[in-house]
Amino acid sequence: MQIINGKDFWAGLMFIGFGLAFMLLAQNYPMGSAVRMGPAYFPTVLGGLLAVLGAMVFFRAFVSRFAHPLKVFIFRPLLLVAAIVIGGATYFYFADTQLKDAPMLQMLQAALALLSLLLFIGAFGPKSMFLILLAVVVFGYALKPLGLVLAIAILIVLSAAGGHDFRNKEVVILTIVLAVFSVYAFVKGLGLPFNLWPGA
Amino acid sequence: MDYALIHNLGVGFGVALSLQNLMYCFFGVLLGTLVGVLPGIGPLATIAMLLPVTFNLSPISALIMLAGIYYGASYGGSTTAILVNLPGESSSVITCLDGYQMARQGRAGPALAIAAMGSFFAGCVATVVIALFAPPLAEVALKFGPAEYFSLMVLGLVGATVLARGSLVKAIAMTILGLLMGLIGTDVNSGVARFSFGLSELSDGIGFVIVAMGLFGFAEIIVNLEQGESREVFVNKVTGLMPTWKDLKDSSGAILRGTAIGSMLGILPGGGALLSSFAAYTIEKKIGDPSNFGKGEIRGVAAPEAANNAGAQTSFIPLLTLGIPSNPVMALMIGAMMIQGIAPGPQVMTERPELFWGMITSMWIGNLMLVVLNLPLIGMWVKLLTVPYRLLYPAILLFCCVGVYSLSNQPFDVMLTAVYGLLGYVFVKLECEPAPLILGFILGPLMEENLRRAMLLSRGDPTVFFTKPISGVLLGIAIVLLLITLAPTVRKTREEVFQE
Repeated sequence: MQIINGKDFWAGLMFIGFGLAFMLLAQNYPMGSAVRMGPAYFPTVLGGLLAVLGAMVFFRAFVSRFAHPLKVFIFRPLLLVAAIVIGGATYFYFADTQLKDAPMLQMLQAALALLSLLLFIGAFGPKSMFLILLAVVVFGYALKPLGLVLAIAILIVLSAAGGHDFRNKEVVILTIVLAVFSVYAFVKGLGLPFNLWPGA
Repeated sequence: MDYALIHNLGVGFGVALSLQNLMYCFFGVLLGTLVGVLPGIGPLATIAMLLPVTFNLSPISALIMLAGIYYGASYGGSTTAILVNLPGESSSVITCLDGYQMARQGRAGPALAIAAMGSFFAGCVATVVIALFAPPLAEVALKFGPAEYFSLMVLGLVGATVLARGSLVKAIAMTILGLLMGLIGTDVNSGVARFSFGLSELSDGIGFVIVAMGLFGFAEIIVNLEQGESREVFVNKVTGLMPTWKDLKDSSGAILRGTAIGSMLGILPGGGALLSSFAAYTIEKKIGDPSNFGKGEIRGVAAPEAANNAGAQTSFIPLLTLGIPSNPVMALMIGAMMIQGIAPGPQVMTERPELFWGMITSMWIGNLMLVVLNLPLIGMWVKLLTVPYRLLYPAILLFCCVGVYSLSNQPFDVMLTAVYGLLGYVFVKLECEPAPLILGFILGPLMEENLRRAMLLSRGDPTVFFTKPISGVLLGIAIVLLLITLAPTVRKTREEVFQE
């Protein structure tokens, strides 16, 4: 058997995975009966259906009329190894440490877990995706502690770095324009409750 | 014309023509056109961002403004499609085909004018369609029980999958995945927090703005950046706006047909602007000489533009009469109504007639404003389009982030949107259309709720969905629709249509 359509192959696996995951997770809740459906009933039925459809897509990959290479995503083995090493090490190192009273260690653990996740994403996606998603996540978590202006600066610089053509001067001007606009439009105009500066 | 309709329209105009509401309507359509023109930021992100603000407005002003953004965007999107060959808004994808070719032949002016006229005409007709059909539909809807609602939603989902691009099996799978994701959060019947992994942030479920923004907004930027940009703007070539008599004669039939198709498809749950424009273009191609299409045929601009505007407006019908959103933007409108303490559904029309009719008449006024706004201001929109994408996408990203964050001021929401951005990229790579997923996501909890109630009422007898007449007919249509799509000849033409 030869895989003709790589896109169907991966899509099939994805649907099967999602279907089974929802089915399995649903088993933590009461099933109920057809008359009085419990919280597990509908998701179990749908999850099963999704897995079956996924299997159809998966097998179609072998008989498809449309050919696609199996390599749909970028693959960087080095980053994947790094992600597994860091993720694994973090997991085992912190497995039996008490973190309740050590906020610094807690933060370190969160940071390492995030790093491992980012490396994992970077192993399969293009550079632009990595930087765009990073920019978004950092913006979300920086908005409160750093204030709107600095969060915007981070978002713009990181996302611009995800493009093909990074021009220093343009990025600076863009940041200033968007920061001024946002302060006036969102905070002054629409009244959204954002800090403008750190701690303010 | 019966007397009641005239009376109702009178009430509506009375509300919509107040100075304050005229202002909000103008602001809405202006903003809508702006986001429609700019590729990458659509009405969804804009409405999401303005949602918290509408809390301070009166309900009718809020709804008039938000509706204006929606149909204004479908107007503005055509400008970008014609001049840049990029859909400014998803519903104008099909306008790119012939509109851009017209622009290359130096006929950007007539293309823009015909698009605007077609949209205006369609908007006027669609307003009348809503006024005529919404009240009787609402009356029928008052008789709907859980079984009927469930079957109606099944029909909507089937409609969305049949008209989605690419493989049918994948589209159905995406719908089901959407339904499942919609179930995340606290189950209303038992109070169990499902699939929340113990995270309190997930116990309220995932907001559809998050899903939509991630799958459409972020994923699109990522894919655009990966492919690199190739844009060519025909700025200098927009000279004479006036179409010739021949243009008008050629396109009048197309506008009429497009309006009819758009008005019909818009009503279906799962229909709306995008599907209408696809269908209208396909039919024009069948009627006219197919070899002209794709080479600057004016009918290929007129029909889909009329259809997408008509569809955008008639998609308010299921929202206003049944309380069911037919697309993500309508789901946001439900959110806006909830903020104002109005439960969407058939009772809105009888209990708050000024709200219902005011909104409908404002659509007509808004369409008039759009014609006045669009044709003279075309030069300004064109200037906006010369801004390179590398300056545009960080701004779009920022607006999306602010929109998501302002929903509940939670950094977690922004991270979740990033997760959906990642998923959206995977979906694009695997050729899985995300639109059915969104619809499933919105309808998931509603469907489960109605399924449970219907089964409880019938004491666990599933045949109730077929034996109740309205429900049976709806399910029957859904099944026929699926079977037709599976028939070999239709399957082949469907693949051809979506190949373009």
